[in-house]
Amino acid sequence: MARDHGSNDARMKERTPEERRADHAAIDRLADELLPALVAKLGASGLGELDVREGAWRVRLRMPADGRAARRAGGSSRGGQQPSPMHATPPAHAAPSTRSSSPAPVADPDPGPPTRAVATSPAVGFYRPRPDRAAGARVRAGDPLGAIDVLGVPQELTSPADGIVGASLVEPGDPVEYGQDVVEIELLGAPAAPPPAAAPATATRPEAG
Amino acid sequence: MFERVLIANRGEIALRILRACRTMGIGAVLAYSEADRDSLAAQLADEAICIGPADARRSYLSASAVISAAIVTGCDAIHPGYGFLSEDAGFAEAVAAHGLTFVGPSAEVLERFASKEATRRLLGSHGLPTIPGSDGMLLDDEHALAEAERTGYPVLVKPSAGGGGKGMRMVRTPRELVAAIQICRSEARAAFGDDSLYLEKWLEDNRHVEVQVVVDRYGHGIHLGERDCSVQRRHQKLIEEAPTPALSEAAREELGDRAIRAVVAAGYENLGTLEFLVDRDANFYFIEINCRIQVEHPVTELRTGIDLVTTQLRIAAGEPLGFSQADVTFAGHAIEFRINAEDAARDFRSQAGIVERFYAPGGPGVRMDSHLYAGYEVPTYYDSLLGKLIVWGPDRPSAIARGRAALDELVVDGVITNRAFHRAMLDNPAFIEGRVTTNLVDRVGGAAFLTPRS
Repeated sequence: MARDHGSNDARMKERTPEERRADHAAIDRLADELLPALVAKLGASGLGELDVREGAWRVRLRMPADGRAARRAGGSSRGGQQPSPMHATPPAHAAPSTRSSSPAPVADPDPGPPTRAVATSPAVGFYRPRPDRAAGARVRAGDPLGAIDVLGVPQELTSPADGIVGASLVEPGDPVEYGQDVVEIELLGAPAAPPPAAAPATATRPEAG
Repeated sequence: MFERVLIANRGEIALRILRACRTMGIGAVLAYSEADRDSLAAQLADEAICIGPADARRSYLSASAVISAAIVTGCDAIHPGYGFLSEDAGFAEAVAAHGLTFVGPSAEVLERFASKEATRRLLGSHGLPTIPGSDGMLLDDEHALAEAERTGYPVLVKPSAGGGGKGMRMVRTPRELVAAIQICRSEARAAFGDDSLYLEKWLEDNRHVEVQVVVDRYGHGIHLGERDCSVQRRHQKLIEEAPTPALSEAAREELGDRAIRAVVAAGYENLGTLEFLVDRDANFYFIEINCRIQVEHPVTELRTGIDLVTTQLRIAAGEPLGFSQADVTFAGHAIEFRINAEDAARDFRSQAGIVERFYAPGGPGVRMDSHLYAGYEVPTYYDSLLGKLIVWGPDRPSAIARGRAALDELVVDGVITNRAFHRAMLDNPAFIEGRVTTNLVDRVGGAAFLTPRS
């Protein structure tokens, strides 16, 4: 059973303490009640994918090509490509990569909470960084870091998390493929820590999943 | 000739195109979706580039992703394979606009042959018989009755718009016709917003026979004979063979000659397949043209010794065909079995999973085109084709004998396939006698073929 969660990072900041408490309650409920029930439902339904929204949360569960994959995980010969079995991990701590079938981002050497996230390419094309988002710049989740030029049309490369722009893994003007790691983001503490800057602009980000 | 070709497809055809590029000394880059990261073609290609997620609309069907992938990898041509973008005139035009070559007919040719109805009229005007029917749309009941009388019952009432069987009824009497028109009009209006109907003669127990054509850019065209694809389920071909058991040698020659003359006259270019219905009395009627390489092209390759994919690449690069109809010789009998991840015992329900073992059969006259390997996970996102087993023999009985032996040898563990269905078909009197019609499998059900006969 693969886990694939919507990007909640954009909605996780600029929250009051009450809202944050509500979020944590929602996460607990998701992990303890909703996810196991959904996993059972997906297994029984024969559907390939379930997409559930509740309030500001969105959870997507996707069945691997064969239901046996989850039971076989670890023993498979697919060299780590197999999505891991379902864990009811709160989405707020989840890796920001949107790739459900690829290995985890490179930077995660210790078993503690992740200190680094990676912005991955949304398309195949040429990488054009934004000069004002060079290494050391503070960014929030969803902030554009640059663009991928697809036949002359730029497609935004966005930061997966709040943090500081780290190493660039691709040279400006170089070709990138879909899902390729492009820029590292050094995370700023735990998700419950106060946001680095309280700019109200991002608080109005639409709640669309 | 091209230096580097982007293969914008997956599965066995990606591998087939890759092999053609290798034999021609052309570099091959594979464009793949996230679901196909571990595919055999991705592993074997000179370079592989991820163009999008598993959802084909954002990968294999995304014209901008495919063209951008060709540009960033330095390709000068794109081979679309079959399905996906292979017959998309807009895509072909965009490829050309970016200075690349589309391996297929030009956008203008694809446009000209895009509408089934217009193509029937066009090729009909160049001498191909089409299914008889009403002269234009039905005005009222009186007109419909007169046209049905002229066409001859049974007739098929068909809506001008749409597809998928909606608003379509077969009727055998004038009374049924009047009732059907009312129902079909309301169904067509609801489904397509257009209630215009026409009539076509209903052909009982027909066979599906298609002609392979090759036309270069200079109007020089040849046909490479026909293929019989009558073993079908819900219009999905399962077994293809050549020559067709349904027509005499003289009739097969006439079919090929008329097909190639009509498409050349109509300005077709590149590889193409003209599909015909053949009725019980061996009359043939043109239905549609496929402007691309077909799944079942190896049947023709085994009979003629001509590599269709390298020929297609040469023509697309602007080379003349280089041989004439007189140079084409046909030898023996070839049969292709589509090995699908489908459970024939359970209404051909499609299957997925991890292939635990895969052994391809071999021996004289046996060819297996498949992207399977042990450990490969069959993704759920795409069609269920796992590969094609193609056998050749000097005559039909020996091809069938080789087919039986090869199917017995084929091992695919971990995923249920339709192998047993094919094996049973080769012992079925209807198949052995060459009498299978397109409706047979649907009429009796796939499971019926799995029951051992005494």
